[in-house]
Amino acid sequence: MLTYVARRIIQAIPVVFLIAVVSFFLMQQAPGGPQLAFNQNHHITTAQIDSWLKSWCLERDPGVVGTIREFAGWLGVWNCTGGGLLSAHGLPNFLPAALGGGTNGLLHGDFGFSIASGQPVLSEILNRVPATLILMGVSWVIWVTMAILIGVLAAVKRYSVWDQATTFFSYIFYSLPTFWLGLILIFIFGVALRWFPVQGIVDTRAAPAPFATDAYWAALAKDPIPNLFDIGRHLVLPVITLVAVSIAADSRFVRSAMLDSLSQDYVRTARAKGAVERSVIFRHAFRNALLPILTNVALELAFLFSGAIVTETVFTWPGMGRLYFDAVNARDYFLVMGILFIGSILVVIMNLVADVLYAWADPRIRY
Amino acid sequence: MTSRDDPAPPGSTVFVTGQGTMPVDIAAPADVAAADVEVALESLGQWQLAWRRFKRHRMALFGLAFLAFAVLVAIIGPIVWPYDPLIIPGVSGTNPGGDSPSLAHLMGTDNNGRDVLQMVVNGARISMTIGITSMLIAGFVGITVGTLAGYFGGWVDNVLMRVVDTFFAIPLLFVILVAAAFFGEGKVISLVLIFGLLSWPLIARLIRAQFLSLREVDFVEAARAVGVSDLRIAFRDILPNAIGPIIVAMTLIMANNIILEAFVSYLNFGISADQISWGNALAQSQNYLVFGNWWWAFFPGIAIALTVIAINFIGDGLRDALDPRTRL
Repeated sequence: MLTYVARRIIQAIPVVFLIAVVSFFLMQQAPGGPQLAFNQNHHITTAQIDSWLKSWCLERDPGVVGTIREFAGWLGVWNCTGGGLLSAHGLPNFLPAALGGGTNGLLHGDFGFSIASGQPVLSEILNRVPATLILMGVSWVIWVTMAILIGVLAAVKRYSVWDQATTFFSYIFYSLPTFWLGLILIFIFGVALRWFPVQGIVDTRAAPAPFATDAYWAALAKDPIPNLFDIGRHLVLPVITLVAVSIAADSRFVRSAMLDSLSQDYVRTARAKGAVERSVIFRHAFRNALLPILTNVALELAFLFSGAIVTETVFTWPGMGRLYFDAVNARDYFLVMGILFIGSILVVIMNLVADVLYAWADPRIRY
Repeated sequence: MTSRDDPAPPGSTVFVTGQGTMPVDIAAPADVAAADVEVALESLGQWQLAWRRFKRHRMALFGLAFLAFAVLVAIIGPIVWPYDPLIIPGVSGTNPGGDSPSLAHLMGTDNNGRDVLQMVVNGARISMTIGITSMLIAGFVGITVGTLAGYFGGWVDNVLMRVVDTFFAIPLLFVILVAAAFFGEGKVISLVLIFGLLSWPLIARLIRAQFLSLREVDFVEAARAVGVSDLRIAFRDILPNAIGPIIVAMTLIMANNIILEAFVSYLNFGISADQISWGNALAQSQNYLVFGNWWWAFFPGIAIALTVIAINFIGDGLRDALDPRTRL
């Protein structure tokens, strides 16, 4: 098992590297750059912009070689402060700092700084992760629970009215554009009925401090009930949106996994030996159907981090999807790369976890 | 078992004839059933059989009818409906978000007084163009790459599949930004190309998987034995047998790309404001929802939703119809 995990991790490295290269190159090809932020400022000189860019290891108009150099700087192979491939100690820059390598770049655990805010990329991300995890986590728990209930019931009562109705509605919800569903919900429950707030994660006038600041967490710990209630109210509409569009695929998946399991020999054996139907369904069929469901659901976990760009935009939710979108718009190169990189690492990890989970839960599989 | 199980309606049974399984509906009167068998014995082609199975799927028929209607609207609607999308008349009522639906404006107007029905009708053109064309591009590239990878295997397969893996991870927003530099911002052609070139990997993978299972089948062995060339085997013998799942995947891609257009236009990454697509027709409507103008967001959105639902139902019907294991 350990060799298997190790082999998978080693295989994943070139894939992640390739994704990083392609993303970086595409990002560089996009017109404009972070220096565009200075266009409004008439007092800034070209020389100032250039020295500012240089301090970020960027170039104004990098050719292919320049882009490779920038990428190498982000990765930590290139020493941006002069010295090229060598660190200040005259040794290869990619070595760990303790062995005389450089300190910049991903290889040294440095994601760089957000160009727009000047904050370290990691702290920008950590700032946004709570909101995204709250939104995506709550939605995920609800849609997985509901998908399992709906799917199992549809499989057990195959071709029944329930089965056909859930099939029909899952196709409908699956086909709705997320943002449109969000807009309709905003209009009905936010504008017309005024039941739920339509933007943000907390009520900015009532909140003790801006969300995700230390002061906010302190206030939340001291006075949890009204603050959690406030977040809960803001959660309702975006969670409904996310659950509605995500539940279809999962409930269909659960249904077919359960149907597959119900047609197996061990289910027939269980029935033949006279087990009650409830026990056949839950102890024999469902427990086996849980295997593929578990792996599928584990894969979804990786995407919780990245958030939902559209839902977060519609409801102005201060999460990762929104952070990524704004960073792309501002050509905030290091922030974009940081988010993409952590996202793809998580996908690789959750893929691995799903496979290991499967092998652990299914005694027939051996690596 | 198919992934979306066979919806064999209760009350039908299977009557085995010399040419495989022929279905007879026992709920129907005996003479009708006999007529069915007779027709069946006249050796229906693969496509005729598929069409008979498809017709049984009521939602798929509705979907087909709606899609035909939508295409018709896209073609003649902008000519018939008497409002020019580029003329900005201004709002006549007091609501800054637009006039509510009336006889003159069946779906109301937006904040500039433009007729929403006109935007829906004009938007159908761009949305349909993007959906259909990107689907065809994805189909063409995906079938070619998947066939090459699946048939030749070995290092060809390895290289092509790594390309496919990378394409799955390409961040869409960057590609749109880069394409804007080449084609100009918000051009239909750039979205068509991008959506097409980002959705072919799905088809390539599907075909490759089909090839891996079909490569060793007897009729391929036979073709190889009589000296048919590799490419001819790939395209004439194996591909037709893999076509069912591909067509289904292509309908999914079309539906997905229509939603994707709306999604990027909503984020201001899509079609530019001087053209009307369903996505950018409602992109600005959110700012005016507080004035109670539900119609502006509702009608373009319902057009997207209905079209996508129709396509998905067609795909569902095709999945059953093109699967030779499905019974009528």
